[in-house]
Amino acid sequence: MAWLALQLLLIVSFSCRDTLRVIGEGPTILPVWFKNFSHKAQTILSIGLGQSWSASNPVREALNTYVNVAGIETGYGYFAPNVPGGYRLVLELHYADGRVEYELPQVRSVAAGLRMAGLLDNIGRTPNDAMREVLVKTLAESSWRKHLDLKSIRAIVGSVRLPTVGQFEEGERRSYEFLYAYDFSPGNDPAETQGH
Amino acid sequence: MKGESGKRLLEFLFPLETDTWLAIFRIGFGLQVTLYSLSLRYDWSDLLSGTTRRLAEALLSLESHLTPRFGWLVSLAAKIGLQEKTLLFAAWICLLVAGCGLLAGVACRLSAVAAWFLHLCAAKSGGFVSYGMDNFMTIGLFYLMLSPLPDRYSLDWRLRRLRPKDPQFLGFWRRALQLHLCIIYFFSGLTKSLGIGWWDGSNVWRALIRPPFSVIDPEILVRLKYLFPVAGIFVCVLEFGYPFFIWSSRTRKVWLSSVCAMHGAIAITMGMYLFSLVMIVLNVAAFGPGVFCEERKQIRLQPGTVAA
Repeated sequence: MAWLALQLLLIVSFSCRDTLRVIGEGPTILPVWFKNFSHKAQTILSIGLGQSWSASNPVREALNTYVNVAGIETGYGYFAPNVPGGYRLVLELHYADGRVEYELPQVRSVAAGLRMAGLLDNIGRTPNDAMREVLVKTLAESSWRKHLDLKSIRAIVGSVRLPTVGQFEEGERRSYEFLYAYDFSPGNDPAETQGH
Repeated sequence: MKGESGKRLLEFLFPLETDTWLAIFRIGFGLQVTLYSLSLRYDWSDLLSGTTRRLAEALLSLESHLTPRFGWLVSLAAKIGLQEKTLLFAAWICLLVAGCGLLAGVACRLSAVAAWFLHLCAAKSGGFVSYGMDNFMTIGLFYLMLSPLPDRYSLDWRLRRLRPKDPQFLGFWRRALQLHLCIIYFFSGLTKSLGIGWWDGSNVWRALIRPPFSVIDPEILVRLKYLFPVAGIFVCVLEFGYPFFIWSSRTRKVWLSSVCAMHGAIAITMGMYLFSLVMIVLNVAAFGPGVFCEERKQIRLQPGTVAA
């Protein structure tokens, strides 16, 4: 019974924390002042869950391990409060003979396609430039392996803009907005990074 | 008064229960793990190897060093000269075997623990390519491996004559799953209902045309635009109302059928077959038995009966 009480308490706590996070991040039907409140409440809840303790703290380590193995480390606000537009990565392949081709990151199954979309979301959303660069590079590397005569690759990250129903009826279709570009050459770190 | 409420709480948390729900749970997750493995057969190594895996595991280590990951197995395999790709292939085979084991009910406990461990390794080492379905699989497999296996439909029960050690906990584990699902849907409905897009239907439209979920041609979808607000409100009410309407025997049938229909619709219109399957399995195992037909009383697995 004690275990169940703790389990339910943790599930509710992590769910509350994530709900407060999405309130703080996105436009919601709640008044603006609630956004500030949700930031503060989320911080307090995170402290309560031991997330402000040092990484070496054994209680924090035990708690984080448990919630990870039980699958309760996140909330359940999928596609909430709003459905994001998503991201796209295009690889511009520059060959030694001057040819230029375009390629999208490729997978061999529909199930992996869903996962690739998740990876692109991670690339687009992360505020950490270094991490984004490493993730983009891993996708570019798979093209190196397939096309050995490449001179360089430009990886272009864009966000997907979805039309509303009204805009769609007027002829507007899905469009892309440039976010970042990375240039890679064999065996080198990105030669150049551009951002919007 | 305190004694009476305590007794009622105990009766609620430890109800007498048959193992029908556990059989549904085991077979459902066996099917889920098997299909999950097969769906990733061509991409398993690419998604879970190299820099992406190491980066995901490094981030995981900032939270916890003890959460299972493939990095542990890769390091061990390197000591005996096995390469990362070979280890990952062996892990994939083991996961597939564990899924088939659960499906047939062979070595139920071992299969459940192996499936939980290997899937968790894949979900954590592939943190950048994981999504909601992995989270629900971890939750389900966690409860499954702790539940009193085997059930009477398994081959372990029928051929090896194995019996669960603690059948009195059958009701407790079902209750834990039921309460967990209530919290999941409550918060899912709550966060959705905070977005204006679920009330005017624009989020339904966006979800259906967003890549890679755009299975149906938007030219066809746009003709159904008047249904989007209804569908959006329906989803919010269904999810937010789940913990309030799923317990009553009068509304359970309607709510459970509607939730399963919603997940079926997600599978068809968004191509999220595995996500929908895991949600339907969780729902049917937790609240399904006894809803559509009365469970037979003579096969109740009370502790005394099993011990005898």
